[in-house]
Amino acid sequence: MLSCCAKLSCCQAGCFKPRYKRLVDNIFPANPEEGLVKSNMEKLTFYSLSSPEKLDRIGEYLYQKATHDINRRRYKLVEIAMEAMDLLLMACHAQTLNLFVESFLKMIQKLLEDANPSLQIMATNSFVKFANIEEDAPSYHRRYDFFISKFSSMCHGSNDNVEIRNNIRMAGIKGLQGVIRKTVSDDLVENIWERQHMEKIVPSLLFNMQSGNAREEEVNEEDNEPKTPPVLAESVLRELVSRASFSHINDVLKPLLTHLDHHQLWIPHEFAIHTFQIVMLSIQPQYSYRVVETLMSHLDTTASAKTKTYIAVVLSAIISIAAGESVGPSALDIINNLLTLLRDSVRRDSGSSKNPTIGQYQENLINALGQFANHHPDYQKIEIMMFIMNKVPTFSKKDEVDQVLQIILLKSLLKVSVQYRTVSFEKAFPASFLQPLLKMAKVTESKVRIIVMEILQALIDRHKNQQTLSVVTIKKYHSLSLEPPSRSDIIFANKQVGNLMNALINSMLLDDQVITLESAYTTAALMISEMGCIETLQEFMVFIFHLQNKALSLEDLTVRHKCNLHRIAISLATFISRCLGIFTDYCEQLIDKRRQNAPFLLPPLTEDSSPTLHSMNLEIPDELLLDRPFIVSVLQKSGIRSERLQMESLFPSDRRPSLIDGISTRDGNLSDTYPDIDSIKSSPDVSRKALNLQELNMLELNFEGMKRILTAPLESVKLEEVNKEKREQMAKSLKEQDFDELMKFNESSHDHIQNKLNELFNSLAMDRPYLNNDNTLNPKNQKPIYEKNFPELFFF
Amino acid sequence: MEDYKFLFKVVLIGNSGVGKTCLVRRFTQGVFPKGQGATIGVDFMIKTLEVENSAGQREAVKLQIWDTAGQERFRSITQSYYRSAHALILVYDLSCQPTFDALNDWIREIQEYANPKVLKILVGNKTDRDDREIPVRVGEEFAKAHDMYFLETSSKQGENVEKLFYEIAAELIEQARQKGGLSRNHHNSSVTNLGMKNNISSFQSNCCSGGVGTNNNSSN
Ligand SMILES: Nc1nc2c(ncn2[C@@H]2O[C@H](COP(=O)(O)OP(=O)(O)OP(=O)(O)O)[C@@H](O)[C@H]2O)c(=O)[nH]1
Ligand SMILES: [Mg+2]
Repeated sequence: MLSCCAKLSCCQAGCFKPRYKRLVDNIFPANPEEGLVKSNMEKLTFYSLSSPEKLDRIGEYLYQKATHDINRRRYKLVEIAMEAMDLLLMACHAQTLNLFVESFLKMIQKLLEDANPSLQIMATNSFVKFANIEEDAPSYHRRYDFFISKFSSMCHGSNDNVEIRNNIRMAGIKGLQGVIRKTVSDDLVENIWERQHMEKIVPSLLFNMQSGNAREEEVNEEDNEPKTPPVLAESVLRELVSRASFSHINDVLKPLLTHLDHHQLWIPHEFAIHTFQIVMLSIQPQYSYRVVETLMSHLDTTASAKTKTYIAVVLSAIISIAAGESVGPSALDIINNLLTLLRDSVRRDSGSSKNPTIGQYQENLINALGQFANHHPDYQKIEIMMFIMNKVPTFSKKDEVDQVLQIILLKSLLKVSVQYRTVSFEKAFPASFLQPLLKMAKVTESKVRIIVMEILQALIDRHKNQQTLSVVTIKKYHSLSLEPPSRSDIIFANKQVGNLMNALINSMLLDDQVITLESAYTTAALMISEMGCIETLQEFMVFIFHLQNKALSLEDLTVRHKCNLHRIAISLATFISRCLGIFTDYCEQLIDKRRQNAPFLLPPLTEDSSPTLHSMNLEIPDELLLDRPFIVSVLQKSGIRSERLQMESLFPSDRRPSLIDGISTRDGNLSDTYPDIDSIKSSPDVSRKALNLQELNMLELNFEGMKRILTAPLESVKLEEVNKEKREQMAKSLKEQDFDELMKFNESSHDHIQNKLNELFNSLAMDRPYLNNDNTLNPKNQKPIYEKNFPELFFF
Repeated sequence: MEDYKFLFKVVLIGNSGVGKTCLVRRFTQGVFPKGQGATIGVDFMIKTLEVENSAGQREAVKLQIWDTAGQERFRSITQSYYRSAHALILVYDLSCQPTFDALNDWIREIQEYANPKVLKILVGNKTDRDDREIPVRVGEEFAKAHDMYFLETSSKQGENVEKLFYEIAAELIEQARQKGGLSRNHHNSSVTNLGMKNNISSFQSNCCSGGVGTNNNSSN
C-alpha cells in the first residue's frame, strides 16, 4: 500500500525526483494565497538539519524555483520561497551555513534585480536577517559589490508614491547597514572601507539625512527602531564611523566632504555642523583630532572664500569635542594648523582690497582656535598662548602682511586668554610670554596695543572688574570685587609692575585716542585692584607720578593729550587711595581744587579739542598737581616703603618709544620733576642731557640689592666718562642707522640680555662677555655698566 | 538554473536631460516615458539578451544597467559607479550644444574614475528632433579623437536603441573571449563578476535537473 502510494506520487511529480526536491515542492501550497505550508516546512527543516550535506542543493533548488516564478511574475510563490530560505538560514547550524548562503545570496540578488519594489524590500529584509547571523567561517571569496551598488541606488529611491519611496529608501539604508555589519569586523572579507564602497555608502546616507529633519523626528520615536530614512541613515552613519579604525577615518571623511561640497551643504552650515557633530561623537575618541585635521586641510583646499568662511564655522562648532582628547603635541598641532590657515589667508588676501568675507573667515578661524583652547586645562592654555606668542611676527614697519598677521594672531591670543582663569600671576605670565607681549605694547599701531591691553586685562582680572574699570573716573566704583593680594601676587608685583607700567605709559604716550588711553587705564586700574596693597603701593605711585611728569614735560604732546594724562593720573591715584584707604582726604581735596580752578584736569577723557583747551597755555600750578613730597611723607608716616618715590628720577627708562633701551644709557631725567627746565623730546632722542653724578647715585640707590650681590666697587667717575663716550656713539648710531635696523638689533639683544640677566641673578656670578653690543667698554668697567644699564626692573 | 552566460555592467553618463533614462527605459521596457523626472542618484535596470557569437551560437547576456544622474550634485556618488563598469555610454543631446561642450569634462571624469580599458561609446541622442545643433560629423570626430564608439539614437522613436546595447554586448563578449579564453570559465573572471565569485557550481549542478529550471529567458 505504502510503496504503491509513494510510487504514485513519485510518478506524478516526475520520475526519480530526489527526496529533497519533493520536500521543497511540498512547502508550496496549491493556492499561492494560502502561503507557506507550515507543517511541510517543518519537515524540510528537519531534513536539512539531519542531512546538512543536502543544504546547498536545497538552496539551489529553491533559487531555481524562485527564478522561474519571478519570470512568470508569480510573486506570491517567490515570497514563499524566500520565506523558506529565511527559515532554513535561521535553523541551520553555523558550520553548515556556508553551503547554503551562496544560493541564499543569489536569491536575494535575483529579487533585488527585479523592478518590483516589494521584491526588493523583501530581499533586503532577508539580507538583513542574514547580516545579523554570525558565521563561524566567513567565506572570503564572497563579494558584496552588487549589494552595495544596489542598496545605494535604493537609498536614492525616487518613486512618485511617497510611501513606496520611503520604504525603498529604508530598505536601501538597512541593506547598507547589513553589509557594514557583515564586513566591517573582518578585513579579509570584502573591505568595506575601499574607496569604491565608501563613495557609495557615505553619500547615500548623507543624501537621506539631508532630506529630512532627523532631530525633529527623533522626538516621536519611542521604541529604538528608527522609523524614517533620515533617522535611520543617521544611526547607520554613527555605526559606520564608530567602527572606523585610525587608518579608515579618511576613507569615510573624504566622500563625506565631497558630498557636502557637491550638494552645497556648507552654506547654510546647519547640516554640516550636525553631520560633523555626529562624526565627532561617534568616532573613537582618540581619533577625533584627525577629523579636525581633515576638516582643516579641506578648508585649505577649498577655493571659495564664502565657503571657507562657513567651513570655519563648522570647525569652530566641533573643535571643542576634539579638545578633550588631544593632549600635548596633537593639541599644538591643531593650533599650529589653525595658525597656518590664518597666515595663509593673510598672505593670500592682503593684496586684494579688504574683503569682508575674508575677514569673517579669519574671525571664524580665531573662534575655532578659541573654542579649541577653551577645552584644555589651564596649564595647556598657557602652553598654547606661548605657542601663539612665538608665532606673532616681530614688528616691522615694512611688511603690511606681518602687521595684519600680528593683529590676527594677537586676537587669537586674546581668545585664549579670556578663557584662562588666572590663579597665580607668576604662572599666567611666564617671562618668555610677558616679555614679547609687552614688546607688542610699544608698537605704533594702536590696534595692536589695544589688543595687547585686552590680553593683559583678561589675564590680570581675576575678579571680573574689567567692565567696571573700563571708565576713567574719579567717582567711586560700585560693585567692585576686591581681595587682598597673596604673598606670591606681591612678589610678582614687585618684580613686574615696573615693566608692565612702563609698557602702559608707552602706550599712553604713543597716541591720544581716548580708546587707547582708556584701555591702558583699565589695565593699570585692574593691576591696582588685583595687586594693590601696602607692599606694592610705592610701585604704583611711582607709575602715577611718572605719568604726571610725562604730561608736564613732553612738549610735543597736544594739550588735549596732556590733559587726558593728568586725568588718568588723578583717577588712578584716587582709585588706589580708596582701595587702600590711604591719603584719601588728600585726593578729595585735590579733586576739589581742580574742580574749581581747572576742571579740564578731571575726567572724563575727551577726544574733541575745544578751542579753549587748545589755545590754553597749559601751565599748571603746583597745588593742582599730585604732590610727591606730600605722598612720600604720608607713606613714611605710615611706615610704608617709599624709597623709590623719593628718588629724583622716578623712571629712568622714560624715552619714547623706549625701543632702544637695551643699548642706551639710562639717563634718568632730572628734568622730569622740573618740567620748566629742559624737557625731553618724545621722539627717539639723540640729544639727551649729560649724565651726572647725582643720577649715578640714584642708580646706586636704586640697585642697592643687586649691588650687595655684585660686590664690585662702583667707579663712578670713570663710569661717567665711559658713559659719555658711549652716549656719543649711541647718538651717532641713532643718527646714522635706519630706525628699523636699530630696533631689530636691540630687540634681539633684549632677549639675550634678559636670559643672561636671569642667569646672573641665579648664579650671583658675573658674565663678562654678554655685553656684546657695547664694545666701547673696557673690561674693568663692565660690571657696573651692566648693573646700570640692564637692571631687571627697568628692562622694558 | 542560471539564465545567462555573461554578465556585464553598463553605466550611462552625461549631462542632465540628454535622455539617458529614456534610452534605458526604451531598451528595457520598450517605452518612451512621458514626464520623466531627473534621475536621483543612480537607477538600476537589468536586461537579459541573446547575442549571436562569432561561432554563430546564441548566447545569453545579462546587462546590469546603471543609469546615473546627470545633475552636478550627484557627481560624487555616480563617479563611484564608473569604476567597475565594463562599458560606459556617454550621452549628449544633439539638439543642445552645451551638452556636447560638456563632453570634455566627462572625458576627464572617465579618465580619473573609470577602468582605463573600459569600453566607451559616445551617443548623440534625440535624432528625431529637427533642431539639431551637433552635426553627425562633429560627434563622430569627437568619438574618434577619444577612442570611443559612436552612435546616434532616438529614445523617442527607438532608433538605434536596441542596436546600441546589442553591439555593446557583442563587443564585450568578444573582448571577454579574447581575454578569458573559453566562455565557460568566464564566470570566474573579473569581467563577469556577479556579486559572488563562485557561481560556477550552479552551472554544473544544472545538468541533472534539466526539466525544472527554464533557461535563456529573455522574453519580455
Ligand atoms: N525629442 C526627444 N526627447 C527626448 C529623447 N530622449 C529624452 N528626451 C526628453 O529629454 C528629457 C530628459 O530625458 P531624461 O531621460 O530624463 O534625461 P536624463 O539624461 O536621464 O537626465 P538626468 O536623469 O537628469 O541625468 C525628457 O523630457 C525626455 O522626454 C529623444 O530621443 N527625443
Ligand atoms: Mg535620468
